[in-house]
Amino acid sequence: MILNSMVLGSVYVLMAVGLTLIYGVLKILHIAHAGVYTLGALIALWIFEKTGNITIAFILSLILSGMVGVLMYSGIYKKVLKKSRIVPLVISIGMFVALQDLFRLIWGPYKKSFQVDLGIPEIITEDMVVTQSQILILIVTAISLLVMYFLMVKTKWGKALRACSDDLDMTASLGVNIERTISFGFFFGSVLAALAGILVGIYDNSVYPTMGEVPSYKAFIVIVLGGFGSLRGAVLAGFILAFAENFLVAWKGFLLPRDAIAFLIMIAILMFKPEGLFGGISR
Amino acid sequence: MTLDYLMTLSIFAGINIMLALSLNILIGFAGQVSLGHAAFFGIGAYTSAVLTVNLGLNYWFALPLSVLISGFIGFLLGLPSLRVKHDFLVLATIGINFVVVSIFNYVQFFGGPYGIVGIPRPSLFGKTFDTFGYFIYTMVWLILSVVFVIYLSKVYLRYGFEAVKEDEEAAESIGVSVPRYKMYAFTISGAMAGLAGNLWAHYMGVIFPENFAFPVSITILTMVVLGGVGTITGPIIGAVIITLLPEILRFVQNYRMLIYGTIIVLVMLFMPEGLMGYIRKVIKR
Amino acid sequence: MNDPILVIDDVSKRFGGLQALRNVSFDVKQGEIHALIGPNGAGKTTLFNIINGFLKPTEGHVYFRGKRIDGMRPSAVASMGIGRTFQIVKVFPEMTVLENVLSGLGMDVYDGFRTFVEKPFSKERMNRAMEILESCGLSDFLDKLASNLPLGLQRKLEIARALATSPQLLLLDEPASGLNDLETNELRELIFKLNEKGITILFIEHDMKFTMNTAEMVTVLDYGEKIAEGKPEEVSKDPKVLEAYLGSGEVAESR
Repeated sequence: MILNSMVLGSVYVLMAVGLTLIYGVLKILHIAHAGVYTLGALIALWIFEKTGNITIAFILSLILSGMVGVLMYSGIYKKVLKKSRIVPLVISIGMFVALQDLFRLIWGPYKKSFQVDLGIPEIITEDMVVTQSQILILIVTAISLLVMYFLMVKTKWGKALRACSDDLDMTASLGVNIERTISFGFFFGSVLAALAGILVGIYDNSVYPTMGEVPSYKAFIVIVLGGFGSLRGAVLAGFILAFAENFLVAWKGFLLPRDAIAFLIMIAILMFKPEGLFGGISR
Repeated sequence: MTLDYLMTLSIFAGINIMLALSLNILIGFAGQVSLGHAAFFGIGAYTSAVLTVNLGLNYWFALPLSVLISGFIGFLLGLPSLRVKHDFLVLATIGINFVVVSIFNYVQFFGGPYGIVGIPRPSLFGKTFDTFGYFIYTMVWLILSVVFVIYLSKVYLRYGFEAVKEDEEAAESIGVSVPRYKMYAFTISGAMAGLAGNLWAHYMGVIFPENFAFPVSITILTMVVLGGVGTITGPIIGAVIITLLPEILRFVQNYRMLIYGTIIVLVMLFMPEGLMGYIRKVIKR
Repeated sequence: MNDPILVIDDVSKRFGGLQALRNVSFDVKQGEIHALIGPNGAGKTTLFNIINGFLKPTEGHVYFRGKRIDGMRPSAVASMGIGRTFQIVKVFPEMTVLENVLSGLGMDVYDGFRTFVEKPFSKERMNRAMEILESCGLSDFLDKLASNLPLGLQRKLEIARALATSPQLLLLDEPASGLNDLETNELRELIFKLNEKGITILFIEHDMKFTMNTAEMVTVLDYGEKIAEGKPEEVSKDPKVLEAYLGSGEVAESR
């Protein structure tokens, strides 16, 4: 069960970290993020079916999804940032809803199978079996987090993003190209979301248009738990949430569906400790 | 195009108008972006269904009870709004919608996924309401609701709401207790949506959890956004359009969510004040 | 008669590790025009927020007309007779000038069930609103949306709205900030006029010239502590005050 939690947590973390990149700067709830998650999985499956090559599928899907993310920003969000708080929020929801239905129309509402032989040996010990996809998820997440760390701390762009997240106007006045920085944020954030989607699609062996519905809010719950805008928080919170869910379900045979647990946690946090674990007002 | 069909359509339109108006009180008047409105709709429906079907209560007792209970739950569900920032209130309300529907789905008392059936039509003076009777009944409530909302917009309560919506600190500085007014908004809005739920349940005769899930909240939101947030005629027009759309354009049925989502995005991009707001602006020139 | 209307009693405020205010005590006498000055970050707005009820003091108390008000809700404090304007102007942007004032006039109505019954557009309230708008020089702008007004007029509107609540004490947070010379003079006139009507005024300012010309009494804060107090002429010569301003790199400019 610990293994399961680690795996689940990894997926949550990927989603949440990607979202933090976006929310941290723009402070809008990019609910459509989950749309990119689903898109990533759908595109990857489609390419894989056409080419039989999983690596190409991965790479193409990630790039395309990243671009879609940037499009969402430049085509839509940018135009409404100035307006009242309500507008970007509602637009994000509208986008998500429309996208999901669009996916349904293009790819059909049914679950599709995503069988891949990854060429990774399974690990079989006395107590448990670690399957291919589980290994994949853990490794990919670990690599992604390392890459993210590198990007955020060592590169110019990463530092710019963090500065924007702290104080947008100040950063702009220092001559940093905000547009470019935010676009990068959207790109990498969306890449992470798509990655999560593909991994889950493989792991669950099912890809379908509404698969983004639950991750859409789970990702935000993780952010709330971790403290909005805090990357460290997102990572930690992702794992905590996964563990909490699994333990609660196993322990009591929870009355409500497991997703309700996440929501109740979120509502509780929002009401009693709104800064989350690592959040301050700015971070 | 029978009379029956038209009346049924009108009943739906009436219920939708009430839902849109009630959401507008939250979003348009008080600025609380709530995306789980279908939860209140459902609570009103389920409460009345349970009272009449499981407990055998007479409709005319169940009616006020279900509205009161919806209002009370509206009050409870409004509590997060006191602590939660704007954006995250949206998430919390989506969560609440989800939890409420889960309760309907999993708790046996509410019939689970098979819902509740056999919900009785109300009857007056010994005669049970047929379609025509129900139509009149709904229209009565509709008119009362519209009058109520217009009344609300003309008393100081409206200013209190608007102050909270525009600037919470400034509102406090002129004596508006922000928590109190948020709770007013949620309670009134919840009660009104609950009334709509009651009307729906007793007309349809059967209710299922999925009648009150997130897509329904989105539909209600679309009505308000399309018509014009904050106005009174806006949600009415938005509700009528959204009710009629699937009927006029049959093929729309299949693409509903896509269309609603796109409408929301387009309206927000180009006409954020909605149809009525836009028309008003054009007239002012 | 010249009793203190506001008493700040040994107020301290800590935010986590940061000590924003330390043992601040002073009185504001009834009918006074009193200034609270100090370099940036001295804690002035924090103190205002404590008086108003947006923050609770970590230690110490605040008394208004003899009653303890720290810990009360801001709306309750407002009902007791304290009006407030803010550093960044907070008029209601989507309301017209008239509506902004009418909203202030509702203060005695908001709590309680009269809010469900009373109409803002009654003759009485309209007259009162017009009076207030005239005394602030805003009667030409009745129908204008508040967000369309220039900053100077917005600041006046904020004051007008606060006036509508019939305050006995008016807290003005940097009312002259962003105003040109003409507007600053008009502001001073307005403050004097209001003071003549009996309203006590406590304002925060950076503009030394404005402060010296407008205030009767001045309290100076630096790094959260009171470092000087007295008449404007005395305070402007106080070496501690000069050092606080010059030392922080800020020159007491006249604009």
